[in-house]
Amino acid sequence: MQKEAPKIFKVDPKFKHELLKITGAEKIMLCFQCGTCTADCPVALRVNEFRPRQIVEDARLGLKETLFSGDTLWLCTGCYTCYERCPQDVKVTDMIAALRTLAVKEGYIHPSFRMLIDSMAKNGYIYEITDFENELRADMGLPAAPKVNLDEVSKIMKKTGLNKLTGITMEEG
Amino acid sequence: MAEALGVELVDMKGSGCCGTTYMESIDHKTGLAMAARNICIAEEMGLDIVTLCNGCFEVLTKVNKILKEEKKLRDEVNGVLIELNREFKGTVEVKHFVKMLVEDVGIDKIEGLIKRSFKGLKVAVHPGCHLLRPSDIMEFDDPEVPIFFDSLINVTGAQSVNYPNKLECCAAALLAVREELASKIALEKVATVKKYADIMVTSCPFCYLQYETSQITASESYDVSVIHLPQLLGLALGLNYEELALYENRIDTSKIKEFL
Ligand code: SF4
Ligand code: SF4
Repeated sequence: MQKEAPKIFKVDPKFKHELLKITGAEKIMLCFQCGTCTADCPVALRVNEFRPRQIVEDARLGLKETLFSGDTLWLCTGCYTCYERCPQDVKVTDMIAALRTLAVKEGYIHPSFRMLIDSMAKNGYIYEITDFENELRADMGLPAAPKVNLDEVSKIMKKTGLNKLTGITMEEG
Repeated sequence: MAEALGVELVDMKGSGCCGTTYMESIDHKTGLAMAARNICIAEEMGLDIVTLCNGCFEVLTKVNKILKEEKKLRDEVNGVLIELNREFKGTVEVKHFVKMLVEDVGIDKIEGLIKRSFKGLKVAVHPGCHLLRPSDIMEFDDPEVPIFFDSLINVTGAQSVNYPNKLECCAAALLAVREELASKIALEKVATVKKYADIMVTSCPFCYLQYETSQITASESYDVSVIHLPQLLGLALGLNYEELALYENRIDTSKIKEFL
């Protein structure tokens, strides 16, 4: 039987320091790899490649390529079960969100997230409220949903640099 | 339904989506500023915020708490909001509709106003994630053994039942990333609920949609009626089927109709 060549991973010891600076990721060094997060995760229960405990370890090792390629990072639903039950208070959910912000900085953004943010810039909502919804509201005797101040949304996105970061186009106010 | 309890709801002019957890996953500062903009509108009105959605509740509560407590972040966010001539001051609270019912209206008061009993109806509540978690931020109910949502069901005479995985996520947030997985997670809960209860009741419109849509698009039929909490409470308070737009529910509501 032929032996499989060992897989080579590129570690980046500096990566964890970058991550530790982000709100929510400050406690990753406290993780003792007990696996509670993975055991209680609704996604890990059904998807083999999604393992929150592994994500913490990969992040500490700086396995950027493993973390950023594919849609692993984007499979977390944000349910906070792991956050609630981690004996070391690692705040895994917030750490995954922090990892996503780093992925975005390096040009990795899940296409579905780009679409949602795009909608936010155009409509002021992740899911647009259209005339159809407002007609339904009218049928029930409700006033139309308040109109978003899009000028303000666009000013925020420009000031924080979100438009440049994600390459989305803004509605001109 | 709010009117029946003496609550007046006022629209927030110019408000919009806070971008939910999607926005904070892309850029933390933009996430904070988007949510803070909405909180500022409420501050200017001098009113607390009530949300019907667990996601809005989580993001707005978290941002409100962080910005009240951390001066450095508050200054940073106010540095963005100044472009809009707004300033986060930290003068209002954020509440979910369920939290408002429990803390401001009071379960006893609601019980006294019940006009129609649902005695004999078995209800599986789906509290959803962010009504409870992260509990150090949400500070509402016990995150592992919650009771408030169940109490709001029990005052109607119906019985809120326990069932396995009651606190599991509906996975609606995954719809855009991996739809089949999101539906699979939702349908497994629906199948459990079918064994333990007559109907399912949600506190968040996104969970509501997820449990209804996943059933409608599934190849097998589950027929578990999903009702939104204000609809069931509204009926118990004496409002009628049409007023509560129950005709919009896409799964047969006959289990509820029996009581009308
Ligand atoms: S539950 Fe906490 S300590 Fe245990 S593996 Fe997960 S992050 Fe690490
Ligand atoms: S927050 Fe994400 S990683 Fe944690 S249990 Fe939920 S889905 Fe899994």
